[in-house]
Amino acid sequence: MIEEKILPISEMTTVLKPQIQFRNFDFYYGKFHALKNINLEIYERKITSFIGPSGCGKSTLLRTINRMYDLYPEQYSTGELLLDGQNILARGVDLNSLRAKVGMVFQKPTPFPMSIYDNIAFGVKLHERLSRTDMEERVEWALKKAALWEEVKDKLQQSGMSLSGGQQQRLCIARGVAVKPEVLLLDEPTSALDPISTTRIEELIIELRKEFTIAIVTHNMQQAARISDYTAYMYLGEMIEFGESEQLFIKPKMKATEDYITGRFG
Amino acid sequence: MITLAAQRKLVNQIALAMSLMAMAFGLFWLIWILWTTLDLGLAGLSANLFTKMTPPPGASDGGLLNAIVGSTILVGSATLLGTPIGVFAGIYLAEFGQRTWLGSATRFINDLLLSAPSIVIGLFVYAIYVAQIGKFSALSGVVALALIVIPVVVRTTENMLKLVPNSLREAAYALGAPTWVVVMRVTLRASAAGVITGILLAVARIAGETAPLLFTALSNQFWSLNMNEPMANLPVTIFKFAMSPFKDWQELAWAGVFLITMGVLGLNILARVVFREKHKL
Repeated sequence: MIEEKILPISEMTTVLKPQIQFRNFDFYYGKFHALKNINLEIYERKITSFIGPSGCGKSTLLRTINRMYDLYPEQYSTGELLLDGQNILARGVDLNSLRAKVGMVFQKPTPFPMSIYDNIAFGVKLHERLSRTDMEERVEWALKKAALWEEVKDKLQQSGMSLSGGQQQRLCIARGVAVKPEVLLLDEPTSALDPISTTRIEELIIELRKEFTIAIVTHNMQQAARISDYTAYMYLGEMIEFGESEQLFIKPKMKATEDYITGRFG
Repeated sequence: MITLAAQRKLVNQIALAMSLMAMAFGLFWLIWILWTTLDLGLAGLSANLFTKMTPPPGASDGGLLNAIVGSTILVGSATLLGTPIGVFAGIYLAEFGQRTWLGSATRFINDLLLSAPSIVIGLFVYAIYVAQIGKFSALSGVVALALIVIPVVVRTTENMLKLVPNSLREAAYALGAPTWVVVMRVTLRASAAGVITGILLAVARIAGETAPLLFTALSNQFWSLNMNEPMANLPVTIFKFAMSPFKDWQELAWAGVFLITMGVLGLNILARVVFREKHKL
């Protein structure tokens, strides 16, 4: 099922494997047609960013990959959405296992009202039975991945809410990473943070690419250009252009994309 | 010719004065009530109050021990019975049945129960329980008080859970948590202080209820811990003693009023402290 292509010259040695595939995908908020005939591939262990003006559907698109929209009965989708070749829109898909494979970090940090340690262990406990020492190792591993370990290793029993905004967001990333997902969805993860925290998180995202497939929604085009391998430009629920970030930002194929990234629109 | 700024200031001062007067009026009565209970209650306060049983008329060395213990048992049992039902129903309304017809119907009925006069609840329990069994009992009093606790707890639990931001819920779902884990480990925890406050306020509410007990637990002149027999309790004892012509009984009634008032005040203060402490986090 999974088509593998050997692409392009710059990536000569790498095999690009599409991990997520949208096929004739449509999404509705009740009667509102929010995503129109999306066809797109998100590649394994690459960073794909989604840009576009507010309301273009980029967050909506991201929230379909872990079927977050299932919480709201009036929202639905049609078409196909494949993860590792399996249609996750099919009947009988177990949402909890899907979400174990597809982690998500939100715009605003959302630490749970419990200790830093328990914040990380929460997700792991849902899917695995680990001994005490294994769990401690996992928590440390996740916090190190999120570049937070050094700052919190002496206060793991403190409330996760006692951390600063940037730390809280890294805690949320650690929490997502701890479950060992294949894909990480980041919905404007730095928009509520100051520039220093933003830089740290960007570095972190680039580091995480080694192990995870990353899809990120951002309003910050410099950020998309800085960190992502691929970029998708969306407008009014349609995928206008998708390509390697370098190419899309320097030489977009579509006039609409060019207008948006040069600031003439949006 | 007054300027716009001067006019604004004047209107502001008038509004402020009126608000202050309204506040002073309310506070006046409240303080008077507190003062009266303190003044008249203190006369009856003695060690006897907590060590002796309610006396027969004319005896001067009686106390309220059986009524205090009885009230504690009745209120405690009613809270133990009503709280889980109320909390779980509140969870259903806030987390599961938000948009279902069953949820709306339950919410509507609960609001009715919330505003039902307590005497109605007393009579209801009398009709379905006391009249069937053929005698007054502590257990029927517990049922009546629990019926008052439930709607209060349902309401506060639902409201407190609704205050939890949806982003927190989504974050938990996004980790692959099933609904019951999201509720039990995340949203209920985030709103714990509010839910506990609601329970404490429900306890305060039933601590002084007289009408439902008149038809159920009635009262008892003697020491009794039997749940199938009438049980002494503060509100009915106060009612009985205050209406009597005996001076000793009247003094004891005031002492009882003082105890209940202080108890309710203490619960309210506790509720505030709990709520504030948790929300500092």
